[in-house]
This record gives sequence, structure tokens and C-alpha cells, in this order.
Amino acid sequence: MLVSYNWLKDYLGEGAPTAQEVADLLGAHAFEIEDIEERDGDTVIDIDVLPNRSSDCLSHRGIAREVATLTGKPLEYDPFAETPSLPETNQVSISIENTEACPHFTATLFTGIEVKESPQWLQKRLAVLGQRSINNIVDATNYVMLALGQPMHVYDADLFPQVDGQWKLGARTAQVGETVSLLPEGAGNEPRVIELQGTETLVIDEGTNTPIGLAGVKGGTFAEVHAGSKNIIVEAATWHPTITRQTARRLGIVIDASKRYENNLSPEMPLYAQAEIVKLIADIAGGTFAGAVDVYPEKWEETTVQVNPVNVNALLGLELSSEEMVTLLRQAGIVVDSNGTILSCTGPWERTDLSIEADFIEEIGRIYGYDHVASVVPGAMEVPELNVRHFYSEQVRDVLTELGYSEVITSSFRKKDAIKLRNALASDKGCLRSSLHKNIAEVLDKNVGFVDLLGAQDTRVFEVGTVFEKKEGGGVAEHVSLAFGVRTKQSGYNPKDDVVVTETVAALEEKLGTTLSVSVDKAVAEINFTELFESLPVPTEYEPVEIAEEIVYKPFSTFQHMTRDIAFWVSEGTSVAAAQEVIAQNASELCVRITHVDEFTKDGRTSLAFRLVFQATDRTLTDEEVNTEMEQVYTAAQEQGWETR
Amino acid sequence: MQEGHKHPLTQMVSEINSIFAEIGFVFAEGPEAETEVYNFDRLNVPKDHPARDMQDTFWFRNEDVTEPMVLRTHTSPVQARYMESHKDNMPIRVIVPGKVFRNEATDATHEAQFMQLEGLYVDKGVHMGHLKGTIEYFFSKFFDGETEVRFRPSYFPFVEPGVEVDMMLKGSDSKLANKWIEVMGAGMVHPEVLRDSGVDPEVYSGFAFGMGIDRLAVMKYGINDVRDLYTGDLRFVNQF
Repeated sequence: MLVSYNWLKDYLGEGAPTAQEVADLLGAHAFEIEDIEERDGDTVIDIDVLPNRSSDCLSHRGIAREVATLTGKPLEYDPFAETPSLPETNQVSISIENTEACPHFTATLFTGIEVKESPQWLQKRLAVLGQRSINNIVDATNYVMLALGQPMHVYDADLFPQVDGQWKLGARTAQVGETVSLLPEGAGNEPRVIELQGTETLVIDEGTNTPIGLAGVKGGTFAEVHAGSKNIIVEAATWHPTITRQTARRLGIVIDASKRYENNLSPEMPLYAQAEIVKLIADIAGGTFAGAVDVYPEKWEETTVQVNPVNVNALLGLELSSEEMVTLLRQAGIVVDSNGTILSCTGPWERTDLSIEADFIEEIGRIYGYDHVASVVPGAMEVPELNVRHFYSEQVRDVLTELGYSEVITSSFRKKDAIKLRNALASDKGCLRSSLHKNIAEVLDKNVGFVDLLGAQDTRVFEVGTVFEKKEGGGVAEHVSLAFGVRTKQSGYNPKDDVVVTETVAALEEKLGTTLSVSVDKAVAEINFTELFESLPVPTEYEPVEIAEEIVYKPFSTFQHMTRDIAFWVSEGTSVAAAQEVIAQNASELCVRITHVDEFTKDGRTSLAFRLVFQATDRTLTDEEVNTEMEQVYTAAQEQGWETR
Repeated sequence: MQEGHKHPLTQMVSEINSIFAEIGFVFAEGPEAETEVYNFDRLNVPKDHPARDMQDTFWFRNEDVTEPMVLRTHTSPVQARYMESHKDNMPIRVIVPGKVFRNEATDATHEAQFMQLEGLYVDKGVHMGHLKGTIEYFFSKFFDGETEVRFRPSYFPFVEPGVEVDMMLKGSDSKLANKWIEVMGAGMVHPEVLRDSGVDPEVYSGFAFGMGIDRLAVMKYGINDVRDLYTGDLRFVNQF
């Protein structure tokens, strides 16, 4: 939520903390601050209001109240300070079919107003928050929503048919197949006509039983205010959070209004919003306020929660006195009644998030500041049980990495498999893997070309991961699978690969002291690991974990690499390392790997062979570039007196 | 034969386990295909609650399941499962490293599957100081240096109070040092969650935390694209 600092000052008064202080206070004690920016003589603070505070803090008054809580200095002006009292009118009537769906519905009637441009101050208020000014009346409703948090809607009374001299508004549940025409999304678009499913709550023209708005979600095109409107009706109501949410989600209309209702906007709010707009319209649109209708059949009842100071300190790890707690709670506008031991706490009506003891404990903790919480490390203790899957996974990892296998973690999703997800992200990720076999085969294919680049002799990979299958008789089952695979040749699968797999199975059997049930296909072996470890002895102690050396990861180049072999007769006494060093010194950083591949002695001379891999991080190398590199290496070898073979 | 490489995430899980095992935290696990009940309801996230929007969820098709099921969106369901099975064996100290899934567009910092680390400690008298101390203990060991932790208010339906945790590595010459880094969500287990798991919130309290292990890998190794963790590319894995 974007918040104007100048606007906050309407409530905080001139002694307000600076914009930066406001941001710092909120950041430490209330909400994350996304951004703070100077804009047109104002400071705009982007506040990430938490979902449980969306009912009271998606508004300037709410944020100002929060600042007041944190500074301990009361608001200079608080629109919620007094219960509003508005003169009644009998020219408008309201009927509510279901008071759970609509606990509170209010309307105000204005005559002889003038629709025109908003005054500069109002345009500016909206502009700094990135909101477009439409006209004074529409702007007034936006202003009140941004000020107090209550969404509102305006009708042109002259376009709203009267029955028996009355404008009749109503709220009821939609009927299947009914339609409602909603205001377009963004200027220039067509109105959106929605066919209803019978679950939505509607605002209706009671006189003709016509849907005129989708309650809490979006206003309709019915009796839309226009440049010539003179008489208007302003609606402010409370709508059920879940019904609003379901309707908004289904239609993909999640706007400021529905977001507020979803998070349980207080049913006390509408009349305060009406009182605010009555003042504003008189100020910016003239005319006469003809009166209000307030239908509030099930009045909200405040709840009082018993807070035990012992529990407060026990949960927060603090040693606050009851008096300190009371002070902190009262700073938040919470009414506290203490009988000496228990604090009876009643939150302000707009704080619909305060309903259990822990909620009040959180208020005390965050206002006081979590930086006062001292760290306590739980004492050393033996683990009462070992994770058998982890224990044996580690044993398998040790065996396999020793045999040259590297571990991969692949996607749990596949394009095709037995279990299809209801709402997959992409068509190639629509199913869940029922085995690791295909993933391992694909990983081998992908990596065989990197053998030289990695300085390996062949490609070996393994994975320990969950796979999913349909249970007989319905339902989904999962187990941990172990799979490993080999490619000894870069050309692909080769029967020799199976020999390596067989040796690997033997090595695993030896380590685990059991016979494995393995399925092998094209040198990819897979084992039901859950079945396996459940059959093995329960371990009593984890192996110590070697702390790995410090690794700094380097993003790898995705450009094609090139391989060149070089062999030469070296001078007597030249070690492999020394020869390698000469190569390294004379090739540029394009030479990313030098592997010693061969060595033999004949007639008293020693031949050393190396494989050089070249790769750039920003382009595919040309033959010429690599040839130039090799020339440098040949020249250096010659200078050493080594004869190239 | 050149030795192979363990995946950085499993290396980290081993290390995390050994750090937490010293203070008695059990390595617990739960299913990746989870019921809606455990993934949401039992964590105080009822149907049609806005908090469900915080996690985009993969759902199983009705014809494949006997009750509504999801790919778990977090490791937190194991909190409920473990408390339920161990409620008569207090204290409960567990960590849950495991794969979780979010139905979101992927980029260099988001993958549809990732590894999360859950922590849970339930006993008589567990408070926020224990949470702070445990997290500081862990990071000091994991990053091998003195670490400070701070809490900022946050909201997760299964904890109250809920906090966002920032950590600062102090005095080291690492790139991460001497600045606050947001690392996890945490809080005191919500009394509803305790009660639903058969633990009496009048007697016991607990803390829980959840963090991305992928994000820890980014911090520890400077990995620039988390998707590389799951492609099986040995140009990546073999650096570890």
C-alpha cells in the first residue's frame, strides 16, 4: 500500500515523526517497508501491510494509528474518535436478505451537487499515490477508501428509478443465470457482463429486483455518475469475507475493495466512512446532504479476551511487569481492565485481527520490540531417534561418489506419467514422476558431452528422490527411489556400461550387507530405496559429517567447448606437474582444463600426453582462436626442448 | 577414477542435520504428496482463507485421490504430523529438510520445486528467546562465525506471534558479513495448531521456523540461478 506522508500528518499533527522515522518505526515493529520516495513535495512510503492487518491498515488513518501506537503519542485528529450521528432520510430504503452475507448496509443521499474537477489538493493526494483523478465525486469515494479503508459506490439518483417516491437498494444472493453489468476495467474498455452462479452476493435495485453491483467485488454500470449528475446516492456496506473472496477469485477481479473485505473489514466502518464523505462532498461538490439510511441488523459485539501476564512473559521470553504490559496495550488503543492478575483486553473495533490471547501477546511483543528478547540456546541433548532414510542415503552417497558418480536432484515433474496434476504450470510438467529412470537417462545424455570439460573419464550420476504412483484401490502412494546410471562412451549407451552398473551394485551390496533388488535398463539401475532401508538394521549413530572445504561457485559457461590433445617427449626428470604447469603458463584463460591422459617410456624417453579444453564465457570459440592457443603451447614446449609427437 | 560429487543441497542437509543433532533435534520427514488437511487446515489455514493465496498450490486430480491432496507447499505439515505422533513424548525437537512445491512461474530465484527446512521445538516454557537462540546457534555454526539475529513482525496463520527473521554475520570478511539478510519466517506455534495435534496449549508452547535451503545455498556458495540445482548439469554439481 502506497502511503502519503503528508496525508498521515493530517492525523498525526505537526509533531509527527519524520517520514524516515515513520518508515523505520513501522519496519521494526509492524510492517516491511518496500520503498520510500520523495514525490512532488511529499514522501510516498510503500508499506507491505500484513494480511491480518489488511482490515485496518490498508488506509492512511490505520497507518497513522499504527504510528501513534509505536510513538505512544495519540492521534491529533482521529475520524474514529466519535461514533458518527447522521440525520436520517426516508427517501432511500435498504433491504437485506441475508445478514450473514451483508451485516451492515448504509446509504447517503445528496441533492444539487455539481460534478466537476476535483480541487488541486485532492488531485495531488491521489496523484502522488499513482491514482488517476476522475471527477470530484468518484475521487471522493476513492479518497475515503484510502483514508479509512471502506470501499464506497455512487449512483446517480435520477437514473435510479424510484418506487413510491423511494429509492430502494437491497442486498441478496444471486440466482443462477442472472447477469450483472460491471464497470469496465480501466478507461476505454467495455463494461463486463457477468453471468452469475448463484453463490454471489448482489447489490440490487429492490424496486425492480435488478442486480446492479457485485457486492464487495465491483460496482455496476447501473445509474452511473456522469458529468451532469445532480443528485446522488452513496453506498457503503460490509460484505462477507469468504463470499467476496470466492467471487473475486472466480472472476479474476481482485481489486482494492475485495482485498479489504476478504480480510474481514470491520462492520462498524461504513457509517464512519459516510460521515467522512458527507463532509468531503459538502466541501468539494456543494449541494445538500439529504440524510442517511443505516441498516445494521446484527450489530457487531466487541469481544474481551483474558490475558494472563504470566503467559505473556512465558511466550515472549521477557520479564515485563503487568503495568508495562497495560501501557503497551493501551498505546495500541486496546481497552485494558486489570483485576490485579488478569488483564481483560478489548481491541479497538477496527482491529478484527485481535481475537485470542496470543494476538494480544504479539501486540505487547512487537510494540515493546523483539530486540529485547534475549537468546537462549536449548541445551545439548542426544537425538532420541535417527532418520534411517538419511543414514542409509549417506552410506549410498559415499559408495557412489567414491566410484565416480555425481549426485543430481532432478525435477519431480514429467510431461507424461501415471499421475497427472489438476493444475500444472506447463504442459511439459503436467505429471509426477513414477520412477527416476527416465530422468537419469536424460541427465546422462545431457552430460556425456561434458566429459572432457569436466576432466572425467566417463559420465556417472545418481539420485535419491521421491517418486509417485497410483495406489491399488485408489489414492496416491510415494516412496523414495535410488537410481544411478553410466555412460562410458560419449556416443551414448554401450553394453560396457552395464558392466560398471553390475560392479556398482556389488559395491552397494557389500557396504549395506544385503542383496539388492535392482531393475536395470540401458545401464540405468533403479532400486526401491524405501523398501531397502526399511529392511536394514536400525542405525544407532550418524557418521560424522565432514565439513566441506570452502567452495566459491563460478557460473559455468554455456558455450561450446573445444578439445585438443597434445603429447611430447619431455626432458629427463620432467614431472607431469611441471609439464602441466608449462602448458598452463602458456595458454590463456580460454584453456579451462588440462588433463593428463597418458604417459609411457620408450628407449629411455618419456612421453606425456594432455587433453586441453578451451571455452569462452561469452562466445563460441573459433578453430583459429584455439589454433593460436595451441601454437603458443607448442612453442613453449619447443623452448623447453620437448619434441612434440 | 575421479571421485564423484555430492549434490550441494544434500551436503547442506547433512551439515544442517549434524548441527541440529547436537542440540537434540531429530531429522523428521513427511510425504511430498500431502492431504489438504495437513497442508492447510491443520495449520490454521481454513478453506477460502486469504492466507491460502500466500502459496500457489499444485492439486491432484479428484479421480486419483480418496481425499483432496496437494503437493506440499511447505514442510510445515510435518509439524502437525510429528506432534500428533509424539505428543506423549515431550519435548519435541525436530528439523524437517525436504522438497516442497509451488505452482509459480520460475526465474533465477524461484523454482517450482525447492528444498525447505522446517524447525519445531515444543515443550513446557519454550519462548521466543529459544527461537532466537536456536537460529543464532545454527547460523553461527553453519556460516562458521558469530551471528546475530533479529525479529520483525510478520504473519503466518500457523504461528502467533509471527516474525520475519533477519540475520547478520559479524566480523567475517565474507560478502554476507555485517548486513541484515532476510532468511526465514518463524514464530510461536499457534494454539489452534497445538490443540489440533493433541497438544494442550495451556501446558505446552513451541516455536517453529521455515526457511529455503536453496536460499541458504545461494548465500553460502553464491549460486546465481537456483534452477541450476535441479537440472542435473554436472558442470554445476561437480563444482561442489
